[in-house]
Amino acid sequence: MNPQWTQRLVAALLLLATGLPGLLFAPVFGMGSLLLPLVTVLLVCFAVVEVCLRVAALRPWRPVLMLVLGLLALGELEFGPGLPDSAMLRGLLDGVTRSWQLTLQSTWPARADAELFLFVPLAVLFAAVLAVELSRLPAVALLPGLAVAGLSQAYVALSGPVATAAGLAYVVVAGTLLAVTRRRESRLVLLLPAVVLAVAVSAGVTALDQGVRPSLALEHAAAPVPPLRVDNPLDEVADRLTRPGEAVFRYTGTAGADRWRIAVLTEFDGVSWRANGDYLRLGATLGTATRHARITVPDGGGPWLPSQPLLATVAGADPLVDPATGTLLLPGRRGPVEYELGWREPAVAPEALLDAGIDASAVSGGVGQVPPGVAELARTATGGLRPSFRAALVLERYLAEHYRQATGPVLPTGSGWAQLSGFLFTTRAGTSEQFATAYVALARLTGIPARVAVGFRAPPGGPGPVTVHNGDSFAWPEVAVAGVGWVPLDPTGGASRGTAAAAGALARVTAQARDALPPSQHLRDPEVPADRDPVTGPSEPDTPWAGTLLGWLGIGVVSAFVLVVVAIPGRRAVRTARRRRRTGPAAVVAAWLEARDVLRAHDIVVSRGATARELAGRLPSTVDSSVAEGLEWLARLVDLTLWSPYGADDRTAAQAWSAVRAIRKGFTEASFRTRLRAAFDLGSLREPGLVTE
Amino acid sequence: MTPLRPPGAVYKLIAENVRSVLRGKEKLVRHAVTALFAEGHLLVEDVPGVGKTTLARCLARSVGGSWNRIQFTPDLLPGDITGVPVYHQREERFEFHPGGVFANIVVADEINRGTPKTQSALLEVMAERTVTVDAVRHEVPRPFLVVATQNPIEMAGTYRLPEAQLDRFLMRLEVGYPDLASEVKVIMGDCAGVGPDELAPVVDIETVRRAIGQVRAVHVEPALCEYAARLAAATREHVALRYGASPRGSIALIRAGQAYAATDGRTFVTVDDVKEIAQAVLAHRLILTADAELNGRDPGDVVDEVLDATPAPVSVGPRA
Repeated sequence: MNPQWTQRLVAALLLLATGLPGLLFAPVFGMGSLLLPLVTVLLVCFAVVEVCLRVAALRPWRPVLMLVLGLLALGELEFGPGLPDSAMLRGLLDGVTRSWQLTLQSTWPARADAELFLFVPLAVLFAAVLAVELSRLPAVALLPGLAVAGLSQAYVALSGPVATAAGLAYVVVAGTLLAVTRRRESRLVLLLPAVVLAVAVSAGVTALDQGVRPSLALEHAAAPVPPLRVDNPLDEVADRLTRPGEAVFRYTGTAGADRWRIAVLTEFDGVSWRANGDYLRLGATLGTATRHARITVPDGGGPWLPSQPLLATVAGADPLVDPATGTLLLPGRRGPVEYELGWREPAVAPEALLDAGIDASAVSGGVGQVPPGVAELARTATGGLRPSFRAALVLERYLAEHYRQATGPVLPTGSGWAQLSGFLFTTRAGTSEQFATAYVALARLTGIPARVAVGFRAPPGGPGPVTVHNGDSFAWPEVAVAGVGWVPLDPTGGASRGTAAAAGALARVTAQARDALPPSQHLRDPEVPADRDPVTGPSEPDTPWAGTLLGWLGIGVVSAFVLVVVAIPGRRAVRTARRRRRTGPAAVVAAWLEARDVLRAHDIVVSRGATARELAGRLPSTVDSSVAEGLEWLARLVDLTLWSPYGADDRTAAQAWSAVRAIRKGFTEASFRTRLRAAFDLGSLREPGLVTE
Repeated sequence: MTPLRPPGAVYKLIAENVRSVLRGKEKLVRHAVTALFAEGHLLVEDVPGVGKTTLARCLARSVGGSWNRIQFTPDLLPGDITGVPVYHQREERFEFHPGGVFANIVVADEINRGTPKTQSALLEVMAERTVTVDAVRHEVPRPFLVVATQNPIEMAGTYRLPEAQLDRFLMRLEVGYPDLASEVKVIMGDCAGVGPDELAPVVDIETVRRAIGQVRAVHVEPALCEYAARLAAATREHVALRYGASPRGSIALIRAGQAYAATDGRTFVTVDDVKEIAQAVLAHRLILTADAELNGRDPGDVVDEVLDATPAPVSVGPRA
């Protein structure tokens, strides 16, 4: 083939080999959003290669051209057409520095925003520039692409057939590249083991993948969104109830929402309640939405946005989300917000719910320093039942029957133990704030995991626009039920008063369970299913030791690989650099030592007593003749330096290193296998026992 | 006065001359001339009929000095070699009649056919280049070079050369069979009547003498002398050897190395020179242990081993 065509083909294959790993980010961002920028980057790179082939003067500038034009194309594509301005520059800079982190801070799949995914085409661009510049050494040129693949696997480890398909596609591209660039040997020999290796590796990854979340490696390394300083919405409940007529937000949508949550508080230290959510940027979707509502929040108010527990999508706003509680946060909100909320309803059978155990694995906060009498009250309130959903309902009924809602112009406020003691033992009247927090504290004391949700009760009405007012302000407890999730309750007794008809499935089922609850005197513990301990719940599946072993084995193999890939050539490069620094006669000797190591790396036996001239005379016939010529040349210089009375100057040294270059060049004609082995030959690091003193 | 020729040129003249008879043996000829330049004695050893004597005679005839040929036989006496005092009746005194060794080049043909007594007669003259008869020293002409040939010792009717004598030979060469093309040329040359006797001298003895003088001036780095000493020491420690090379061996290495470098037209000796001639200089000085001999080992292999295992010096010493 015409060498120019070979160069084109090699460049195209290398670009493919760097572009394919970019597509491995598809599970994070979706294929659709990645394809266009990746293809643009690769096309620009190829165009630059083509232009440089035609215009020789541009050739030295190829990497710079590729980089600049690639960045320009990406900027135009993502930040709109027009001359590059500071916004585009800042966007590209953010793409390099921040976008990878923003992606880690997002739920997956992430939104297809340039702000997030820009680091993928940028990584591919840098890898492509490197790969094309290294195209003289195809095996090395594949490494940048592999690095991108490694990065993608840190974000989302592909497994199963997708991994196999991706591996095979990469192998085919890389195999074709190596086949094109190799000269003499049969070209398909390496392809078969590579295919086998690709399948084996993807099968291994599949075996190791625990399938919990796509983000396997970086899940715990994800940088959390910085903590936010916001008012506690629980403290506002009483205040809002004193101004019941003020509209808070408006919504239009399907029925099925009896409450709108704005915050969920889990931490209680005896004084105050705090939210402890891990807020992430909301990605494209959290699941399939079965219900939708359009919500308009007017100007003012805190950063919290009304939401639903099993949140699926938010369109029209870009909030932070705590996937565990479904709460939305829009830090630094200015002006009104209008967004489309999508969520789903859990499917629960009523009879299953009443007898359900509690979910002991659910995260539940503490209760702080408990005042005397409260623990006994908790036992009485649950009727001495073991922790179960039934016990939770009994506690709910106890509060509803024994306490009343406070009314009047001055409403009690506060939810620390000081206020709660008063509520529980003295006043026996409070707002939903006291009901909910007292419920959660008592439930936790009896072993039921519970948390406080703050929000609004959904007023009757719909499906037309419904306005939620301050008067609907409401706090309620939620308990973790095995097999169901967090179930909202209503200890104020309001739930049984009627809005449940318009509520979602869970609220209806809870109401049915509430109705089916036997009177206090007939209470007994629900039957414990044989296969489940009601207290501890389902135990965490043990990590199979074989998996751990395989994991460590994998880490070992990878570190060994890194050691070989980086350490051997690196060590050799350092040694060569040190040799190059010598001057005069020592430089000639160093050149000879270098040449000897090169020969040794290419499997040529170099005994301790061997001299350059001898080696030149007995090189194997497979070695290019230029190696022998280089050695002869070097031998003359070494003889002059070491044995003649004239010695050597720096010119001689320069010539000696030229000879070494000639020898190296001679070996570039060697077979791929020989060169690969030469590159990673451990033996070449050994300092042979020389008389160097 | 003859113009001063560099040793390299002298070598070329002699080598071309010898090669016109002895085809396809460049290396052998070069080694032979090396021995001549180093003024060291040469032992040519091989089976009959490969050109040992031809080499010796060609070398002798190419140089314009005197040369003698002594055919060693079992009945040859020491006096035949060194010379004998003969009573001069008219002058009523003994007069020394010089023997075969009184020549610049002495071709000692089939030296191992002579008895040890006769062979020993060469000891003094080879080492000291003098002959002492009846307590009178007679110097042989310089340059003085013994080119001995011998059949491999397995052949019947021969006497093995004593080790002391072997050590006095600077180099031992093996001729070896010629390749096919060379052999054809040899036959054709024989048919055309080209033999050693047809060779004319190409350099006079004075030129050779000067070449030898120049060879002595060839530069030798101290590191190289150390290398030679290391090689000799390595042979002394080798398990397969009862006796390794003597200091005379390491001296011979350097001297032969100088001569070899000179044949290349160089004025300094390299490691490659030493390694090139090491086989010829050392192998015949090594005495195998009984075990090694029984196991069929060859001193030549031992030399190769030693050369491979002794690090080639790469140090850059201070220069004068």
